[in-house]
Amino acid sequence: MIRFRHPRHWSLLAKLPLTITAVTAAVAFTIGIAIITQERSRLEASIEERALVLGRAIAATASEAAASNDYWAVYKTLRQMTARSAGGARDARILTAMVLDPDGRVIAHLDPGIHPLGRRISEQNPAEGALLRRALEMRTTSVIHGGAGFIEGVVPIRSGESIHGIVRLRLSTDEIRAQTRSATITILSLTFVLVILGSGLGAIISNRLVRPVHALAAAMDTVGRGEVGTVPAVAEHTDDEIDHLVGAFNRMTQELSEKQKLEQQLAVSEKLVALGRIAAGVAHEVNNPLAGMLNCIDTLKAHPEDTNLAARYLPLIEKGLNRISTIVQALLVELRAEGAEQFAGGQCLDDVRELILAEIGDRKISFEWENRLGDDVRLNSQKVQQVALNLLRNGIQALGNAGDLAFRAYLDGDAVIIEAEDNGSGIPEENLSRLFDPFFTTRSSGTGLGLWITYRLVESMSGTIEVQSEIEKGSLFRVRLPGLKIAPKEDWEI
Amino acid sequence: MTPRPRVLALLVVAFFFALPARAAEPAPVRFGLTAVVVRENVPFYQAWSRYLAQKVGRPVQFVQRRSYREVMELLETGQVDFAWICGYPYVRHSDQGFFDLLALPEFEGAPLYRSYTIVHRDSPLEGLADLEDRTFAFSDPDSNSGYLVPRSLVLKLGKNPDAFFRLTFFTYSHAETIEAVAEKVAEGGAVDSYVWEYLARTQPQLTKRTKVISRSELFGFPPIVALRHGNRDLNRRMAEAIIKMNEDAEGRRLLRDLALDRFSPPDPKVFDGIRRNAENMKARMIAIPRP
Repeated sequence: MIRFRHPRHWSLLAKLPLTITAVTAAVAFTIGIAIITQERSRLEASIEERALVLGRAIAATASEAAASNDYWAVYKTLRQMTARSAGGARDARILTAMVLDPDGRVIAHLDPGIHPLGRRISEQNPAEGALLRRALEMRTTSVIHGGAGFIEGVVPIRSGESIHGIVRLRLSTDEIRAQTRSATITILSLTFVLVILGSGLGAIISNRLVRPVHALAAAMDTVGRGEVGTVPAVAEHTDDEIDHLVGAFNRMTQELSEKQKLEQQLAVSEKLVALGRIAAGVAHEVNNPLAGMLNCIDTLKAHPEDTNLAARYLPLIEKGLNRISTIVQALLVELRAEGAEQFAGGQCLDDVRELILAEIGDRKISFEWENRLGDDVRLNSQKVQQVALNLLRNGIQALGNAGDLAFRAYLDGDAVIIEAEDNGSGIPEENLSRLFDPFFTTRSSGTGLGLWITYRLVESMSGTIEVQSEIEKGSLFRVRLPGLKIAPKEDWEI
Repeated sequence: MTPRPRVLALLVVAFFFALPARAAEPAPVRFGLTAVVVRENVPFYQAWSRYLAQKVGRPVQFVQRRSYREVMELLETGQVDFAWICGYPYVRHSDQGFFDLLALPEFEGAPLYRSYTIVHRDSPLEGLADLEDRTFAFSDPDSNSGYLVPRSLVLKLGKNPDAFFRLTFFTYSHAETIEAVAEKVAEGGAVDSYVWEYLARTQPQLTKRTKVISRSELFGFPPIVALRHGNRDLNRRMAEAIIKMNEDAEGRRLLRDLALDRFSPPDPKVFDGIRRNAENMKARMIAIPRP
């Protein structure tokens, strides 16, 4: 079903031509009405003037004849003056013409058969009677508006002060109606033509205006999706405001894409820097135990017979090798987890619980587990498990042999929140800023890689991680993973 | 200084050429007419005036007046040499001795015609008696057929001609009397039978709108008269030119245009009927008692 929408919501493609058309039509119509009105009054004035001019001419010509009752001469004058051409038929615009004596008797009438000579003119109806009385009372040349389609000129025939007759000349105003009708038809057809021209022109103009606007909007959508580099340049047409806008937009997208390229280059170099730092850290971390172990081996080689030495140094060498192995394994975990793209429901986190319980072993740590994520939440399982594991292990290390540890996972809107809380020693403020740096550790046995790896994993999932910590009271790590894909439900709604 | 004598020479030459031309143009013969008989027909009068000028050896100029009275005045004062008048003014003025009969037009075999009483085609009136208290058109107060005859007929009905009709007017032309009746301006009219028959042939659309309800006895046809004190030789030549019109082709063509057979030599006896009517009218009108 087509629903009527408020014009406010219409497309510019419809609004512009409609506005232009409406304005054109209104202007044409208004001017037309003004012209018709003016033309009507002009015509009326011209008919009045004609009635008076003809009436005066008849009065002047017939004056003497009327005074001497020369009926035939007066009639001939009347007939000639009202003829369309000399000796031609009667002018159709003249409804009637007559010369009457002051008592209303016919001296001459254009319809002599109906109004006989010498008789009082017959009044067909009261209105005509009133007009006749008015005409007979006229002392000066005047115009009477009949109202019903005619204008009457009344001219007294004078000789000196006395009036010995009047000329009545009645002209039809049909001409006005006919002219008005033809003018109206002309104006309406002109308006129609202008409306068609206006809408055509409007369509062309609006198309020209709206096309670049549409292109701009499409281009902006592309930018909104973050694909700055792929925006097609919006075509530039003329030198108007829209053109300037298009130009400005194109400059903006160009600058945006340059900025993005720059950022990508920056990210690459940052990665390289981080890699260098890691390589240096690894080298340093591995080099430290290696120096001690090489020392032990040198001493053992110098005193091969001294079994005490072997008994003292071999555990040291073993310890050093274990440390190197731990570092390498941690790095491997990070590399493995970073590339993993395996998705599972929210319950996959429960695997972590067992590992942590095993790690706690018989230490006096109370562990509180709360996973409110259902299987409708899709998680990058390996990464999220690693994150949870690392944060909880960090908590255990902070607690030492006793304390409270808590894990919580829940939904906040669309985002998944994972929290790990302990009431251990807390983190000094000066360490907070370096907390996620690789190889930063406060424990002699720590590799300083756990939190760094956690940070990298969260970052790879476009998440954030925050820490709230107070000395001697404990720490809270909160991970927020936004934009996770939610599996379809039955009561899906738009 | 050479142009001056040349201009002078030209002027002298022009003078000598102009002088004989002027001398060769004699004073025109003036011929009085009214529209009563024949309506304004400029091409016809031009042709007739050329024809007569050729015959009499002097240019002929027609002088038209509205009424017989005016033409009679022109004749009486010697302003015209000839005139085509009506039988009524002829009998009224014939004893005053300022004109002579020159020629009589012959219409349908004799120099005689009638007066027709006409009404509109759709009129229910059947005779002059029915026209009592109605509007009536006369042609000219000096016309026989258009005034004297209808009035004497009213008199014969035993009525006063001045009071019989409700309203009368003069059209000063028989053709216009027919028009006045055709357009119902007048309910009846009196016309020259010659004019009515002539128009019935040339303009039937006009006469068809009227009908003749009574025909009078025959009267003498309106005659052509000459100024008695005029040039006798000119009068003779004019009489000969008019009476012999039927003897050449151009004259016959002109006669055909006038719907006349010929012009015959004068015979005053044809006007006896008009004379009797006029005298009778005069006597009776005097006898009518006046309030």
